[in-house]
Amino acid sequence: MPHDHHDHEHDNHLDPMDARVRALETILTRKGLIDPAAVDAIIDTYAHKVGPQNGAAVVARAWTDPDFADWLRRDATAAIAAMGFTGRQGEHMQAVFNTPDQHNVIVCTLCSCYPWTVLGLPPVWYKSPAYRSRVVLEPRAVLAEFGLELPTDTKVRVWDSTAELRYLVVPMRPEGTEGMGPEALAALVTRESMVGTGLPRVPA
Amino acid sequence: MLARGTPTDRPVATRPRFAPGDRVRAINATPHHHTRLPRYLRGHTGTVEAEHGGFVLPDTNAHGQGEHPGRLYTVVFDGAEVWGAGAEPGLIISADLWEGYLDHA
Repeated sequence: MPHDHHDHEHDNHLDPMDARVRALETILTRKGLIDPAAVDAIIDTYAHKVGPQNGAAVVARAWTDPDFADWLRRDATAAIAAMGFTGRQGEHMQAVFNTPDQHNVIVCTLCSCYPWTVLGLPPVWYKSPAYRSRVVLEPRAVLAEFGLELPTDTKVRVWDSTAELRYLVVPMRPEGTEGMGPEALAALVTRESMVGTGLPRVPA
Repeated sequence: MLARGTPTDRPVATRPRFAPGDRVRAINATPHHHTRLPRYLRGHTGTVEAEHGGFVLPDTNAHGQGEHPGRLYTVVFDGAEVWGAGAEPGLIISADLWEGYLDHA
């Protein structure tokens, strides 16, 4: 039940969500249903090890290594696993490459499916009913709200993640980046550019 | 467990009913059980782009009624087919749909 009335004193200074999570963790631990060390390992994994920096490394390698790009196109699950990025919500990966003719955008209209292994946990906007319902109907309008205006003759393909395939958009390599190595290139690859709601940064 | 994940691909013995290039129609149904066929695609016609082999069927698995793996296809729909004449020009929508969600068009 929503805790939306504040006409009484709490016995702690935690906000309601923190208090609820701590209470649950305490009860589950005391009942022996969870191991606190396992909870810590999960939090550490998704706070520090799994995030869009992984996807950026994949994209930068695809930009600089044509053999890897071919592999990524044919078998993204294996190519991404070879870089050490495996795990939940990355078991079945597909990389979709932007071209001058077609821009790709990812959504999960039914829930919030998202490629955790390469992008981390989904941002709030990705899970919002507005994004999920509108991006399949009027992606150009939605992308414009993200600040992305595509040429009118570019096709927009929206990939609805209805099953267990998880999608990673490989944006086009920005101009002016010739001679840059994978690490410098990865710094240009934003989370939004790998969902399709943005483009990579342009080097200063 | 965190590094391995939980893959949901499964072998399927039957031959694929559809092949890339086939025209297919998403069934128009209103099941009382869980399904991963989005409402907005039901009854619409698209083209099979890829066949991915078998995957656990959510329609039964979500209810604890077994995995019943079925073949999964990426099906591509034209925006105007789904949304009508007012659709954004150049819009393509694709979804990953189980074999039982599809009929030949």
